[in-house]
Amino acid sequence: MVMVSPARGPRARPEGPAFLARADLQVLLDLLREDGRTLIGPTLDGGAIVYDEITVVEDLPRGWGDEQAPGRYRVHDRGDERLFGYVVGPTSWKKWTFPSLVPLTRSSRDGHRVSFEPVPLDPPRLAFLGVRACELAALGVQDRVLTAGPFVDPDYAARRANVLIVAVQCTTAAATCFCTSMGTGPEVESGHDLALTELDDGFLVDAGSPAGRAIVERLPIRPATAVEQYGAAATVAAVRAAIGDPVPAAGLHDRLLAQLDSPRWLEIAERCILCGNCTLACPTCFCTSTTQATDLAGTTAVMSRIWDSCFSPGFAKVAGGSFRSRHRDRYRQWLTHKFATWWDQFGESGCTGCGRCITWCPVGIDVREELNAIAPARPPAAEITLVEPAAPSPTEFVTARVTATKAETADTMTLSLEPDHPALSRGGPGQFAMVELPGFPPLPISISRYLPGGLELTIRGAGAATRTLCKLQVKDEIGLRGPLGNSWPLDRAIGRDLVIVTGGIGLAPLRPLIDAIIAERRRYGDVRLYYGARTPADLLYRGELERWKSGNVEVALTVDRAGPEWLGPVGVVTNLFDQATWDGSGMVAFVCGPERMMQATVSTLAGRRLPASRIYVTLERHMECGIGLCGHCQMGKYFICRDGPVFSLAQLGDIFGREGL
Amino acid sequence: MTHGRVAARPRVGVVKFASCDGCQLTILDLEDELLSIVEHFDIIDFPEATSARSAGPYDVLFVEGSVSEPAHLDRIVELRRRSRYLVTIGACATAGGIQALRNWGDHDAFRASVYAQPEFIHSLATSTPIAEHVPVDAELRGCPIDPAQLVELLTALSTGRRPQLRDEAVCMECKRRGVVCVMVSRGIPCLGQVTQTGCGAICPRFGRGCYGCFGPRERANAAGLSRHLQAAGDRPREEVGRLFAGFTAYAEPFRTMVTELGGTRQARATGAVEVAPTGGGNARQ
Amino acid sequence: MQDQASIVASLNSTWFASGLEPETQTRLAELARTYHAEPGQELFREGDPSDLFGVVIRGRIALRTLVPERGEITILTIEPGDVFGWSTVVPPYRSTSTAVAIEPTEAIVFEAAGIRAALRTDCQLAVALYPRIMLAVSRRLNATRHQLLDLFAAEEMRSW
Repeated sequence: MVMVSPARGPRARPEGPAFLARADLQVLLDLLREDGRTLIGPTLDGGAIVYDEITVVEDLPRGWGDEQAPGRYRVHDRGDERLFGYVVGPTSWKKWTFPSLVPLTRSSRDGHRVSFEPVPLDPPRLAFLGVRACELAALGVQDRVLTAGPFVDPDYAARRANVLIVAVQCTTAAATCFCTSMGTGPEVESGHDLALTELDDGFLVDAGSPAGRAIVERLPIRPATAVEQYGAAATVAAVRAAIGDPVPAAGLHDRLLAQLDSPRWLEIAERCILCGNCTLACPTCFCTSTTQATDLAGTTAVMSRIWDSCFSPGFAKVAGGSFRSRHRDRYRQWLTHKFATWWDQFGESGCTGCGRCITWCPVGIDVREELNAIAPARPPAAEITLVEPAAPSPTEFVTARVTATKAETADTMTLSLEPDHPALSRGGPGQFAMVELPGFPPLPISISRYLPGGLELTIRGAGAATRTLCKLQVKDEIGLRGPLGNSWPLDRAIGRDLVIVTGGIGLAPLRPLIDAIIAERRRYGDVRLYYGARTPADLLYRGELERWKSGNVEVALTVDRAGPEWLGPVGVVTNLFDQATWDGSGMVAFVCGPERMMQATVSTLAGRRLPASRIYVTLERHMECGIGLCGHCQMGKYFICRDGPVFSLAQLGDIFGREGL
Repeated sequence: MTHGRVAARPRVGVVKFASCDGCQLTILDLEDELLSIVEHFDIIDFPEATSARSAGPYDVLFVEGSVSEPAHLDRIVELRRRSRYLVTIGACATAGGIQALRNWGDHDAFRASVYAQPEFIHSLATSTPIAEHVPVDAELRGCPIDPAQLVELLTALSTGRRPQLRDEAVCMECKRRGVVCVMVSRGIPCLGQVTQTGCGAICPRFGRGCYGCFGPRERANAAGLSRHLQAAGDRPREEVGRLFAGFTAYAEPFRTMVTELGGTRQARATGAVEVAPTGGGNARQ
Repeated sequence: MQDQASIVASLNSTWFASGLEPETQTRLAELARTYHAEPGQELFREGDPSDLFGVVIRGRIALRTLVPERGEITILTIEPGDVFGWSTVVPPYRSTSTAVAIEPTEAIVFEAAGIRAALRTDCQLAVALYPRIMLAVSRRLNATRHQLLDLFAAEEMRSW
């Protein structure tokens, strides 16, 4: 909101739209720059009309127009005096509201101790001149994603609150526009502080907020004549007619999701270069990654947020490989997210029809054409049970001290931690924490036990960062955010028989579940644990397995191979129960392990008559923020970090085990 | 102490094969960081910088240049044996360099036409990247390498983390920096889409197309790009093939593009295979 | 002599042989005998002609193979209900691993000559048994594939 001190006495406000003469436009620009605001507007720079800092009317691209087609953008001389006679260029306003590089946290490490400090928010005061209807809608879409969910991006929220918006009605359309189909334009309707419609002699001015009205009162306006109003309306109507309705948006969500196996994806993959231009030109794409900058000694670090893209190779990568390595799967992810699953996540389309992805695709792939080819002429909300986490934003970390370490196997370590915040010891079984060491990327680690005033993390050294964590000693400190995600729904298991199937490190997120079961053993029926590992030496928590047996939990162990001293079963974990005599139709199952093992387990359990609504799995994906703001962990419409990581098989449907989702 | 972190003051060597020395010079150009680097690393062998000599063993050995003469073959194997981490730097070491253009040609004919007594010139018929001879732990691409990436690698070594060398297209860097795409706005052919980033998008920043000096990135769809360049720009195949015949011509898939489209005179002479264009890509440039 | 009724009862307690037609059960019982093994007792050796085909009723048998430099590795265990020695009825009739009982084990076994002849001549028996042999072998194959994927292995140790 702008605090504008009146420069002149009060004046009679005209009814209806006002008219500002062309010669007086500089007055508006000056008003916008009051109160230390920087004015950002369109200007011609090296062959394109971009948004940059401007001060005077001469900075605007007078007499310039643009011509756009898939993979092609050219400016040309219109031969007139129009200042806004073009549509959108390569820059979008997200350059200022969601910049490509934002430092988030400064951290340091000194011997055992670590410290984390969010970089102070210092958003510049800005005024945007020339925001089109599709761009207004895009700002609204990002507002929804980044500030209207359970977690808010503090940097975006602060920047956004410091922006004054002057929208401009489109008086021309590019061949790549399709705002009409997406319901976002061409008419400017809401979200602006001021709106201008350019006519030959000047501008129709419309206020859309108290801040806008305060500015209008200080402009040398007069009431617009009927001819001027009619002329403006006719121009906008002509724009609408020129665009037509290129994309069959009604019902697109369902039709697109029904085409996950369309052969067209493969055909697109032959043309698409996976360069990521579409996602970075798009005003609503929000996927980011973190990048670490440290000094050579590694004692101080700055973690920053940078634009990333679901097209980048490492986007969906975890220790075992990438969940989305094929070309066709990445393009499919982008298109289905933007036009379909965005609806499920945010209640609206992710696309506002600005056409930038069409123009700025270097090989000219046109989403309108693709949508018409793939899905020519909507899901239950995910169940989230949230514990109010400590440090809910990506910029704040809570420190925790290592109080004990235990080597479970040759490559797996359990760290006992005492955090500085009580929430971390009060989470639910199955939740995870984002673990952070200065200079290292943040890692999602399952909480493997809750203790009074503390928690345990069991970590397998599978990469540089996890191996470093495994080497921590008592009194070392780390940073934590959490508990995050949802928990195993133990309440659904009360009074029922349970079966728990797991392998390898998968037992770690199940250990708090077993702790909770044993603590109130009488509330549950028969409890059977089936646990497989590679070799006997790789079995976790060996000492506790005996204790669980005496807690009336039936424990069956198997290994993939063993030497002669092992006298237990050898084989896959499904062998332990695929021919069992129990009938699963009344049971609840909790499954955790490598995804391939979970798939085999789930189909064996289905064979034992467990219904999909009572089989729960926990999923793992590449995570950077852990709170649904960086975009990496999506699988179909779910953010694994926020809607999961625990899901019932009924929730997942046939996207579980699907390649590339 | 962290895993992956080498000894307290790692022993570092920098050696050269067939190269212009530009990458070594880039190390020396790190004027602001040099003192800090020397404090954290023990440079035991770096002919361009110091007269100290050592035959190793090295904790980290930076190798510049391609394998181009017979003596190189044994030398690289021996150096690999003596190095804990071997990092190749620059287009020559990672892709064979511009000198790899001879791989498509008649090496003996070149030699005979340039040198009066070609029997004194010991060179291999091909110039090949280091990774074709020994396993390589990390690569710094570029011609020359990017100094910030070098510092990142050294920092990763001393802190124990994975080096953040992003394998994405130059396009990402152009967009992050607000550089207007030269291909879309000016019709200039640019290999940035299939080239690995790391240079900070230097060439597009100056209004010229990327020529691929950082080499092809993961899964680069060079075939799709060449089809588009031919169709949309109405260019003959050889002209598109020549775009790939640069500093990293020998790295796949650029190599296949040069061979199939006839990017070098020799490739054309041997008869390039027809690459049928597919539909799509409506832009006319 | 073996008590046929108790053999039939034992067979019925296993997934492999339960639910067969009464005539088939009787026929099988005629060819069968009970077999006991103590822990450490070797039933057959890898590579030897395979002459024992059986179903475990109680106990556990380890299938082992010798890997030079690593010694004897247990690659699978046969639990109650599972069959062992299916190589007895599939050419070239050679054992594919070494079998050692690791618990006191009771099994129902069929001698090679008898069961092979019966499967060749008695069509009803063959029709009843071969699908179950296939199921046992396919279950084993599936398990082997998963073990092959080595899903719990650490990522190949690259430097970075």
